Amino acid sequence: MPPPPDLNAVFLNIPYDEEFRSLYIAYIVGLYQLGLVPHLASEIPGGDRRLNKIVNLIQSCRYSIHDLSRVELTTAPSGVPRFNMPLELGMTITWEKLNPSLHTWFVWESEPYRLLRSTSDLNGTDPYIHDSTPAGVLRELCNAFQSDHSPHVPEILLVYRFVSGQLDAILAKKGTRNPYDRSVFKELCWLASTLTIFLRHPRPSA
Amino acid sequence: MHEPIRIAAPRPTLEERAKQLGVPKARQKELQALVDQFKAAFSNREEVPVSSIELEKSRKSASAA
Repeated sequence: MPPPPDLNAVFLNIPYDEEFRSLYIAYIVGLYQLGLVPHLASEIPGGDRRLNKIVNLIQSCRYSIHDLSRVELTTAPSGVPRFNMPLELGMTITWEKLNPSLHTWFVWESEPYRLLRSTSDLNGTDPYIHDSTPAGVLRELCNAFQSDHSPHVPEILLVYRFVSGQLDAILAKKGTRNPYDRSVFKELCWLASTLTIFLRHPRPSA
Repeated sequence: MHEPIRIAAPRPTLEERAKQLGVPKARQKELQALVDQFKAAFSNREEVPVSSIELEKSRKSASAA
C-alpha cells in the first residue's frame, strides 16, 4: 500500500512560460486561500531522473490540477506541440485508477469545448474554464474546492494583485528571469501563505 | 459541473508552511515588511476595490460556459 498523500497538497501541472505567469500566481494565491498547498515539478531538487521526481510528487499530493489551456505549438524556432502537460495528466490518471481513494485530478482549460478537440479521450470530463484570466482561475478554484472561512474572490484578487506586484522585485533579488524557478516559487508561496492567515481573521471595523 | 470538493484537512499553520518553504529568516523579514504594508492598506480600506471590468468579464465567461 503506498503511503498516504499530503491531504492539503495540490500538484500543479502548468506550462512554464512567460504568458502564463499571471495565472501561475493566481493558482498559488487561490490555493493557499482555500487551505491548500501548491506544488510544482520545478520545486524538487535535482539528482533523480525528472520523470521519477514528477511521479513521486503526484503520488504525494491528494489533488492535481492539469491546465491544458496552452496546448498550442510553441513559438518559433522549435514550433513543437507541448506534450508535457498531457503526459503528466496521463500518469496521474493511471495513478488515480490504481488508487482512487488517494488522488483526485482536475482538468482546466481557457476555452469551453476545446478539450473535446485537443484530447477527445477526456470526453465526459468537465474542465474548469478560466478564460485565461486571474479572476477566472480564482473563480474556478472556488468552484472546485470549498473550505471553511475562505475569503471571497474579490478579496483573493486583492492578494493576487499584491503578490503579483512583488514578482519583479523577487526575480531581481534572485537574479533570474524565470518566475517558475524553485526559489522564486518558494517566495511567492511564502507571501501568499502569510496573507492567507491574515485574511482568515475578521477585518477590523472601520 | 462537479460538486466542489470540501477540504476537510486542517490548514497547515504559518510556522509549518514557513518550515516547509525554507525561506531564510533574513529574507522572511524583508518579505514580512511588504506584507505589513499590504495589511495596513487592507485594514484602512472601506470596500474591496475590485475592478468592475474584471468581475464583469468573470461573470460573462461563467454564464457562457
